[in-house]
Amino acid sequence: HGHLKKPVPGEELKVTFVLKDGEQKTYEVSEGETLLDIAQGNDLDMEGACGGSCACSTCHVIVDPDYYDAIPEPEDDENDMLDLAYGLTETSRLGCQVKMSKDIDGIRVALPAMTRNVNNNDFK
Amino acid sequence: MIWRRHLSTGQGYKKISIVGSGPAGFFTAYHLLNKSKIPIHVTVWEKLPTPFGLSRYGVAPDHPEVKNCEETFTECARKFISDKHHKFEFIGGVEIGNQIKLKDLLKSQDAVVLSYGCTGDKKLHIPGETDTSGVFSSRNFVNWYNGHPDIAQDPKLLDFEWSKVKNIGIIGNGNVAMDIARILLSNRIDAIWKHTDISSVALECLRNAPIENVKIIGRRDFVHSKFTNKELRELWQLERYGIFGKIDKEYFHDGMFDLSQFDRAFKRRVEMCSEYLKPFTQRKKNFKKFPIPSPSDVYDKRTWELDYLLSPIKINKCPQTSRLESLTLSHNKLALPENKVIKDEEKADVEYPMDLLITSLGYAGIPLEEFNALGIGFERGHVANKQGRVLTTTNDLYPKLYASGWIRKGSQGVIASTMEDAFEVGDRVIQDLFVQPSTTESFDINLGKIRHTTWADWERINRQELKNGKEEGKKRTKFLSIEDIMNSIKS
Ligand SMILES: Cc1cc2nc3c(=O)[nH]c(=O)nc-3n(C[C@H](O)[C@H](O)[C@H](O)COP(=O)(O)OP(=O)(O)OC[C@H]3O[C@@H](n4cnc5c(N)ncnc54)[C@H](O)[C@@H]3O)c2cc1C
Ligand code: FES
Repeated sequence: HGHLKKPVPGEELKVTFVLKDGEQKTYEVSEGETLLDIAQGNDLDMEGACGGSCACSTCHVIVDPDYYDAIPEPEDDENDMLDLAYGLTETSRLGCQVKMSKDIDGIRVALPAMTRNVNNNDFK
Repeated sequence: MIWRRHLSTGQGYKKISIVGSGPAGFFTAYHLLNKSKIPIHVTVWEKLPTPFGLSRYGVAPDHPEVKNCEETFTECARKFISDKHHKFEFIGGVEIGNQIKLKDLLKSQDAVVLSYGCTGDKKLHIPGETDTSGVFSSRNFVNWYNGHPDIAQDPKLLDFEWSKVKNIGIIGNGNVAMDIARILLSNRIDAIWKHTDISSVALECLRNAPIENVKIIGRRDFVHSKFTNKELRELWQLERYGIFGKIDKEYFHDGMFDLSQFDRAFKRRVEMCSEYLKPFTQRKKNFKKFPIPSPSDVYDKRTWELDYLLSPIKINKCPQTSRLESLTLSHNKLALPENKVIKDEEKADVEYPMDLLITSLGYAGIPLEEFNALGIGFERGHVANKQGRVLTTTNDLYPKLYASGWIRKGSQGVIASTMEDAFEVGDRVIQDLFVQPSTTESFDINLGKIRHTTWADWERINRQELKNGKEEGKKRTKFLSIEDIMNSIKS
């Protein structure tokens, strides 16, 4: 699982995760870490079954609308995987594709409350 | 390896056996080992000497990122083989129901999870399906190019005259059909295949085929297509190699659908098709990421086509050679309100000439032979179950028996949904184990002289395959027979 770099003092970025039971956890992290790295480095319940390569959608997060537009837009392959995520919202993203930057310092994201994160979409 | 060993009872562990080491089996094991508070001893049984099921033998060789779940499984196995709290074992090359009986597993274990996937083919049931040269099921074809030891060196595929294959039909339009279409269409593009772990003997055969057209044929209409957008996009993007797609206007054209009624995935699918069907220069930015080659750069002409509302009714072959010549299909229409498929009597049957036909109707779940005698329920291609707890033929709970993955729900769902399923079933097993007294019967599974592989053996096989691959400039070179796999352990 993820190994997080220790942030350089003075350059810490803040991120808050809202867990499935509503509990909130705030971390100070370095620029460039993905939400998946941060979640896994802190033992949050985010599977990341494809190892962060945008091929599984098990890292689905719902971004606080206040921060959504500050994240660079999703690529097609991220959107293709989001199509399969259960409980998709207007501000859904894949945690492995969102990197921490100064633009999104303080970002808040929720882990989807559903136990089932993925549609049982056809792979016949 | 011929070892004498027992899965002994007692010693304070609850014992759980999992049948099958695909994503369902391994994710179930992973979840149990990570979540159980009481000490457990998990044994994963696998028919093949090698683990990972369809991650290894189903997922397309050009989708290596999908196979990353294997790293999670490997980490899990390594960690729990020498863990203080729990125990983990992998036993490969042993088929439950054959060398070891399910009945005996049930006697010796506190819980048994069936995760053995879907091991058969759904069929068309039309004349010529089984006795025509050039007709293959998707499962056989996929297993073949992925080097599955049951079929990797089958003469039916190796000796087939690939050099005559120009027109291809694929029945079914799920993602497996899309994988197969992509592989066939790009058979001569070394940049895609050279470095992957595709079976080199299969690739050599496929390269011989001067493919011109691949038709992907569905019973229903565009709306009911079963592929996901990712797989569809990959086909469109083959245009950068001079391979172009089309859809007849009758089945798809701009403005055909009232998009307000559809979900996001379908809207994106419609946009994708509309854009890719336009001339390159008239498209939005996203749909011209890869420049398309000028016609003079493309040495052979290739197309693929999404075809709809057709049902195959007859396979026509050459009487002398039994070789496939064409496929007869009848037209369908959808009857409201439920969109039931019915024959469109007004339209005459069509005949498509073709040299290769792949039937991609889905993998079929098959009951184990013992199910009957044990009274285990089975329905419509999967083990009868309630939330993963297996049911008897009379719909009661079958004690200690569970199912996860494709054999629980039928052949649908990607690895991520299989994972979620495995986690849910794992939770039920843990719940039940807490309240249920340990198996007291002192019945031991005796592997005796049964040849099998351990996790350490697999690590050896894996290292050897990676090494052989490296020497050939590839990610991995799979061993193509059980004998070669077993010999690699000795060396
Ligand atoms: C062609 C193809 C391509 C796919 N591509 C993708 C993709 O790109 N992305 C994605 O997310 N998903 C993909 N999938 C879906 C994915 O492979 C499945 O969701 C997943 O493998 C199902 O896992 P499972 O463990 O239930 O079954 P399986 O993976 O089939 O595993 C079952 C295992 O049980 C073993 N077994 C069978 N009988 C016995 C027995 N009696 N005793 C012991 N062992 C036994 C089998 O050998 C096998 O190893 C694809 C599927 C196919 C068919
Ligand atoms: S970890 Fe698989 S898509 Fe993000």
